[in-house]
Amino acid sequence: MNTIYEFVTGPLAWLTWTAFFAGCAWRLASMYKLAKSKDTSSIAFMSWKYSLRSIAHWVTPFATLGWRKNPALTVATFLFHVLIFAVPIFLTAHVMLWDQFFGISFPAIPDPIGDYLTIVVIALCVFFAVRRLQDPNVRYITKKADWIALAIVFAPFMTGFLAFRQILDYDTMIILHILAGEIMLVAIPWTRLSHMVFAVFTRSYMGSEFGGVRHARDW
Amino acid sequence: MKRCLPILIVAVILAFSQLASSQEDMTVIAPDAFGKLTRPAATFVHDQHNEKAGVEDCVLCHHGGSDGVQDPESSTEGIPCADCHAVQPDKGTTGLSKAYHLQCISCHEQSGKGPLACGQCHVR
Ligand code: HEC
Ligand code: HEC
Ligand code: HEC
Ligand code: HEC
Repeated sequence: MNTIYEFVTGPLAWLTWTAFFAGCAWRLASMYKLAKSKDTSSIAFMSWKYSLRSIAHWVTPFATLGWRKNPALTVATFLFHVLIFAVPIFLTAHVMLWDQFFGISFPAIPDPIGDYLTIVVIALCVFFAVRRLQDPNVRYITKKADWIALAIVFAPFMTGFLAFRQILDYDTMIILHILAGEIMLVAIPWTRLSHMVFAVFTRSYMGSEFGGVRHARDW
Repeated sequence: MKRCLPILIVAVILAFSQLASSQEDMTVIAPDAFGKLTRPAATFVHDQHNEKAGVEDCVLCHHGGSDGVQDPESSTEGIPCADCHAVQPDKGTTGLSKAYHLQCISCHEQSGKGPLACGQCHVR
């Protein structure tokens, strides 16, 4: 147990962080190169003003027509995205580990609230899964890659919940939990989760084209 | 004075046996300093742990020190960690739960045995 635990929290964790940052940088750089060779004009019309205007609208709940059309989905989407960052970073146990491994300390979400928020994330994953199966429009455009992305995010929260509650074998669950988190980080640049790094640029592109070229709104 | 001496001796013996029995009886660590614990109290069967781990030197865990400087030589067994480690530590000192975690986990890492993950110590 100790050998496995030290391996996944030691060498494998460093490998994971490296792969995550290098992968993101690589994807951004190669996307930039592609844009430069295939779509030079798009780089020319990129505008800070229209980019930021578009981003500001889309990160505000209900500030766009798209968000207003389906309120339940909008609430679920915003809650989900806030929580999948806030919970792993500010969970009490993780705050103690930030301190143990990196020597940095900051305020934490108390255990019972963290537990509850984890259940919310798991429920939201189920909500998104059901929606993909039930809504014909969504089902039509759902690919395998969408399921993989959802499963990769679901896994660390589910295993984390089971480990915290000490349901099933704890030693196995905590290792699975760490592995699931590492798989998620490594997978971000290479799966549909890459919208984490690309979203601001896609939004800027749309904002700039609509604002600067078509003189229209993109929200 | 003559009559006091036996009583004094008995008192000292009692005091020491009290000390000894209290660490013998210890199965978990749950210092009052934390107030209500947020996690299940950490498993620690004092004497059995030290026997199994082969640590005979009390000062390995019960060190001394003051004014922000640790004294790894002076033994302080029987003095609660909380007497010197505050739950909310001043800058540059080691807080109470960090003191436990650092001491317990770093030895387990070094010896390759003993619990490292939260739920192995805080057993529900
Ligand atoms: C592996 C670390 C470790 C070693 C080695 C160790 N102790 Fe302890 N001992 C503890 C901890 C932790 C406590 C709990 C202190 C606290 O929570 O404030 C404790 C508590 C005690 C107490 C107080 C018990 C009570 O119920 O309040 C006594 C007395 C004691 N130890 C004596 C000894 C003696 C004597 C030795 C050497 C033979 C020894 N200890 C070796 C870790 C250790
Ligand atoms: C007589 C006072 C005293 C007692 C009792 C005491 N400590 Fe300490 N300890 C200190 C001082 C002083 C330091 C150095 C300053 C600091 O880090 O807070 C220290 C430092 C530490 C450190 C940090 C060491 C490092 O390498 O950075 C740990 C861990 C620790 N103590 C654990 C414990 C544990 C666990 C207990 C109870 C079993 C305990 N201490 C009991 C005074 C004490
Ligand atoms: C000086 C080294 C050392 C320190 C300090 C230490 N441990 Fe251990 N601990 C060990 C070793 C070695 C083992 C493995 C014993 C074995 O199973 O052979 C162990 C095993 C354990 C176990 C498993 C016991 C069992 O019966 O299998 C627990 C629980 C534990 N330690 C808790 C603690 C806690 C809590 C502390 C801090 C208060 C602590 N330990 C501090 C060396 C240490
Ligand atoms: C080697 C055993 C050990 C491991 C591993 C360990 N702890 Fe502890 N922990 C202790 C001891 C001993 C104390 C002090 C006494 C107590 O609270 O039982 C403590 C105290 C705490 C406290 C403060 C007291 C309370 O319940 O509010 C928290 C919170 C805590 N631990 C959380 C964690 C988390 C989260 C992890 C994993 C990241 C973890 N611990 C890993 C032994 C351990």
